[in-house]
Amino acid sequence: MTSRDLKKINDALWEIPRQGGMRVPARIYATEKMLPAILSDKAPEQAMNVAHLPGIINYSLAMPDMHWGYGFPIGGVAAFDLQDGIISPGGVGYDINCGVRLMASNLKRQQITGKMPELVTELFNSVPTGVGAGGRLTVSKAELKKVVRQGARWAVARGYGSESDLEYIEESGCVDGCDPAAVSAHAYARGSKQLGTLGSGNHFLEVGYVAEIYNPKAAAALGLFLDQITVIIHCGSRGFGYQVCDDSLGIMDKAGRKYGISLPDRQLACAPISSPEGQQYLGAMRCAINYAFANRQAIAHFTRMAFERALAMPPEEIGLRTVYEVAHNIAKFETHLVNGERKKVCVHRKGATRAFAPGSNEIPAAYREVGQPVLIPGDMGRYSYVLVGTEQAMQYTFGSTCHGAGRALSRTKAKKQARGRNIGRELQDRGIYVIGKSRRTLDEEIPEAYKDVSHVVDACARAGISRKVAQLRPLGCIKG
Amino acid sequence: MLITMPDWIEHIDHTGDAGFIVQADSLSGLYERAAWAMFAEVITDIETVRPRKAFSFQLDADDPEALMLAWLSGLNFRHITEELVFCRFEVTRIQPDHLEAVAYGEHIDAGRHEIYTEIKAVTFHELRISRQGDLFTARIIFDL
Repeated sequence: MTSRDLKKINDALWEIPRQGGMRVPARIYATEKMLPAILSDKAPEQAMNVAHLPGIINYSLAMPDMHWGYGFPIGGVAAFDLQDGIISPGGVGYDINCGVRLMASNLKRQQITGKMPELVTELFNSVPTGVGAGGRLTVSKAELKKVVRQGARWAVARGYGSESDLEYIEESGCVDGCDPAAVSAHAYARGSKQLGTLGSGNHFLEVGYVAEIYNPKAAAALGLFLDQITVIIHCGSRGFGYQVCDDSLGIMDKAGRKYGISLPDRQLACAPISSPEGQQYLGAMRCAINYAFANRQAIAHFTRMAFERALAMPPEEIGLRTVYEVAHNIAKFETHLVNGERKKVCVHRKGATRAFAPGSNEIPAAYREVGQPVLIPGDMGRYSYVLVGTEQAMQYTFGSTCHGAGRALSRTKAKKQARGRNIGRELQDRGIYVIGKSRRTLDEEIPEAYKDVSHVVDACARAGISRKVAQLRPLGCIKG
Repeated sequence: MLITMPDWIEHIDHTGDAGFIVQADSLSGLYERAAWAMFAEVITDIETVRPRKAFSFQLDADDPEALMLAWLSGLNFRHITEELVFCRFEVTRIQPDHLEAVAYGEHIDAGRHEIYTEIKAVTFHELRISRQGDLFTARIIFDL
């Protein structure tokens, strides 16, 4: 595909007109400068493929951080009619309810200068990363069924965090409609030792500080101030969610044929929302959503404990509170304005974040005037962003925006670029203390392996689908 | 980490995920090498793993591709849930829709085994098994 195949809607929005079996056009949010990179992989074709799916409403959308994904592109957003539409595991991804929590403290950067090695080491020892690291919360299958019904509430009820955390999590940390009986024994087995673990790949826990404020009013509402110490937790539903997705693909593949859904790509395997197969996936997926909420809640608790130990300060002085937590791999029933009428639809966000406008009932009262916080992590070396949702997002993207930087280099290329270098040392020279469980992970996750996230958030801001509030810069990071 | 990669493995350069093409001169050899490649190239330094115990696998699937997916997924599942690492694989019986195999390995010892990354899933994406004369080829992509 070339830029000639795209119709320019405005400086930050491009359309692939309806063609072939597409039921709606595809729309890509990006600046002109970002297009060559976007068009260099198959993600735009994947956005077109999504437009073929039954019941899709208005457009198949792609955010500026779009890149190749399994079935749907990463950065893909699509809403489906509840009667005629489908649900697709490929529209959610393997890591169901992968997401980001932002925590902010009472501390200023100057107060922890020189303490980062102790703090990061304590975090690394307190937050297990995954396989072979030993989980801290091994739970029985019976207990896991409670976890998947209660989400973050399960963790809070067992002393991992406080009630006040729950208000600042998307969906208050628990979705309804889960069906523990729809989850396989394999998924329970994978999930039993992984609760409260970070995982590997691009998952991380980062200590940083507020480096810039773009919107003082919104920053004040979110309780953010310059030089404030922050924590970002990026992880999801671990093996539990991966297995739920894996199990569903075979079922959906057969269901697609059974219901006569013609697909341009087998990986878009899906079933009508109302079908038994669709309901089974929804029930299992919601269990994984709640698992991820509980997982991040437990990690947030371990983080607070690690801060107290490493800094030898009481919790009131550190004041590490949840600013907000977002999901960026999820399908949810939400009410949106469709052709002038409020309608409940099934929104798939795969590598995309909910970005609800000021005034939305779904966001905490304290933020209702400024809009829902949106948390966009970058790479280990540069910066991350805090944004808020807008009315334009409600109008044009079913209340959605970007989710991150997106990779620029494959893992193999990143490892080649890192060969002969000491990535930990390089980052330390830049004032960022990093511990990775595996040196190879650090090599694969070098900052230059990622696109510059500032281009992504600027494109979203230019398109009006979110507004910049603050920039965070890293001081330390743990990687699985 | 392996200093040299066997010439029967070729990496697929794929943004975000990992994959490889594996070749062998028999179908059973192809499944054995794919398993070896998954552990050696994605999961751990296979040189550090000792073949202390034997673990049996018996799998059925609709076709050779689905069988490959079931085999690699089955190994990954036991690696994660039982905290095992494997270093040697012997396919004892192979049909297009049936596989019996033994994998040799041991429990993960954090002091000796570095786990590079966790495989979320072995995917159907571009999964292909082909044969040209006596040469069998498999193309496999993992979601990491």
